[in-house]
Amino acid sequence: MRSMLNLQNLHATVGEGDEAKPIINGLSLEVPAGEIHAIMGPNGAGKSTLSYVLTGREGYEVTEGSATLEGEDLLSMEPEERAAKGLFLSFQYPIEIPGVPVMTFVRTAMNAQRKLRGEDEISAPEFIKKAREVGAALNIDAEMLKRPLNVGFSGGEKKRLEIFQMMMLEPRFAILDETDSGLDIDALKTVADGVNVLRRSDRGMLVITHYQRLLDYIRPDRVHVLAKGRIVASGGPDLALRLEKEGYDGVLGEPA
Amino acid sequence: MTIADASNPLSNPTIAEKKLFDRCRAMRATNSRTSAFGLFAETGLPHRRMEQWKWTDIRAALTNLETPSIDLAKQTVEVPEGACVLIFDGVAWKLPETLPEGVSAHRQSDATPLKTIEGLPLGQLTASMTGQDSSSDFVSIEISGKVDQPIFLDFASAPAETAFARLAFNILPDCSVRLIEAHSGNAAFSSTLIEFRLQSGASVDRTFVQRASTAQSVGITATAVLGEKASFVQTALGFGAKVCRVETHVRFEGAEAHAELNSAYLAGDDHHIDFTSHVTHAAPSCTTRQLTKGAVSKGGRGVFQGKFLVPRSIGQFTDADMQHQALLLEDGAEVFAKPELEIYADDVECAHGNTSGQLDEAALFYMRQRGIPAVEARALLTEAFIVEALQTAHEAVRDQMIDEARNFLRAEG
Repeated sequence: MRSMLNLQNLHATVGEGDEAKPIINGLSLEVPAGEIHAIMGPNGAGKSTLSYVLTGREGYEVTEGSATLEGEDLLSMEPEERAAKGLFLSFQYPIEIPGVPVMTFVRTAMNAQRKLRGEDEISAPEFIKKAREVGAALNIDAEMLKRPLNVGFSGGEKKRLEIFQMMMLEPRFAILDETDSGLDIDALKTVADGVNVLRRSDRGMLVITHYQRLLDYIRPDRVHVLAKGRIVASGGPDLALRLEKEGYDGVLGEPA
Repeated sequence: MTIADASNPLSNPTIAEKKLFDRCRAMRATNSRTSAFGLFAETGLPHRRMEQWKWTDIRAALTNLETPSIDLAKQTVEVPEGACVLIFDGVAWKLPETLPEGVSAHRQSDATPLKTIEGLPLGQLTASMTGQDSSSDFVSIEISGKVDQPIFLDFASAPAETAFARLAFNILPDCSVRLIEAHSGNAAFSSTLIEFRLQSGASVDRTFVQRASTAQSVGITATAVLGEKASFVQTALGFGAKVCRVETHVRFEGAEAHAELNSAYLAGDDHHIDFTSHVTHAAPSCTTRQLTKGAVSKGGRGVFQGKFLVPRSIGQFTDADMQHQALLLEDGAEVFAKPELEIYADDVECAHGNTSGQLDEAALFYMRQRGIPAVEARALLTEAFIVEALQTAHEAVRDQMIDEARNFLRAEG
């Protein structure tokens, strides 16, 4: 099977200069096209850091190793170029963008990506039609899409908006960082349905989560345990169940 | 004091000041012109040792008075359909052959300094340099109806040493007018004075855009005196100049009147823009809402000075709010702010807020992760920030103003 996301011996630090702290310490991971992999791990294992390193956030520096998406070096690209290549991050804490309505924001993002890829802009009617359909699937009403992005939205609404953006942008590879946090059980199902709709043979996903609960709804092909910045255990979906039952200490055989 | 007597009271006048003194001496001296010029001559061109001008030094910017060599077309706003257009060419006001119903205009021969322009050196200078005996026009306009069609004031002077323009509006009881102004002339030094007298129940809605090159110094001075239940709403977008001072003085003289002063400024490299305002609540139960938002890039300078004065007893039940928020887009951008509340009445609600900061890095990264390039992300965030202050702009030009702001931000990025 073709590997889509390929991380080899990745090392990364967070912070600038003397303050830089190593968080990712030799992480290797391959996610083939068509698969969903879950990354679980205790607090401070480097889960969110991994998502920021892959998407190119400032202050997160790769000191060693490689990260490619479909053979292309992610680390040499600007964040927006990575997005245009089809890399999407559903943020653990979505950011409020005052003054920019959801619809304007998503359309700007969509057209910016298309421009970077040398494609034509989406037409207004086409965009609105798609937004209506996706919104309906996620129980997002049209009024919400007219409001400034995430401003005054509840935690659950923000997470749903992340999935809305993902479904609109149709990335080739998506990282979902703790998408389940802040969601009640109904919202969790709605969001999981949205994610499952996007499951395709040519798309990969990395689902970062603390708890096994989300994985009841988004069935992963593989589960990896991240501790101290490295993958320390990998297995099938049953690994998540074991983690839930025995805890990280139990599975890893030592305090994580 | 005669104009001849007002000769160089300054110990060390600049070349520009000498030219202005000479020019005034050449005019026929009337009492009012003499007194207006005398008030100006007390200080000369405003400079940084004057408390109100410590951040905006017109004298230093104008040591010489040389006609700019280039005639720049500057994008401001286009004339909306059906507007009544008054063009100021740097010397004279060109009035349309027919004015809308409820509008009448008269050229004024005298330099009448209004009481309200005391303490406004650029206002006094403009008053003394305009009127029929001088080289520049002074036009008074009376509004005697509810005038629907916008009046468009086009300040479009050709390259010249100076352009002094003066207008006085008298809005009769319960009458209203809406103004749109494009301040885009090409004089080295332009100073505009507009006085508004709003009688009871009158209303003025004023929207303007200022744009100038770094070879120009600009003053835009306005005074508004409001009678009972009058309403004065002003929305400005300024891009600055070598130095640019937009100064607005509002005085409530009748109860239950209302003023809104909303301004947005965008200052690029070597541009200086100053929004200064002074609101005096000399009548009870009046309301003021003021929002100023600015964004400054490297080498640019923004100044905000706002003052609410609420005198004892007559200012009771004042309700006033002043907000100034600025974004420093890059290192090397400067913003100076002085919000002041001076309150002597005891039953009032007055608030002010003043912040300056940078664009939210987390928001920028979020937008870039979605595929929006950094330049565009910065522009979009800044535009969203600025636009809040343009909500009250005349609907015929609001979108154009937002477009202008957007184009500026894209180009700056």
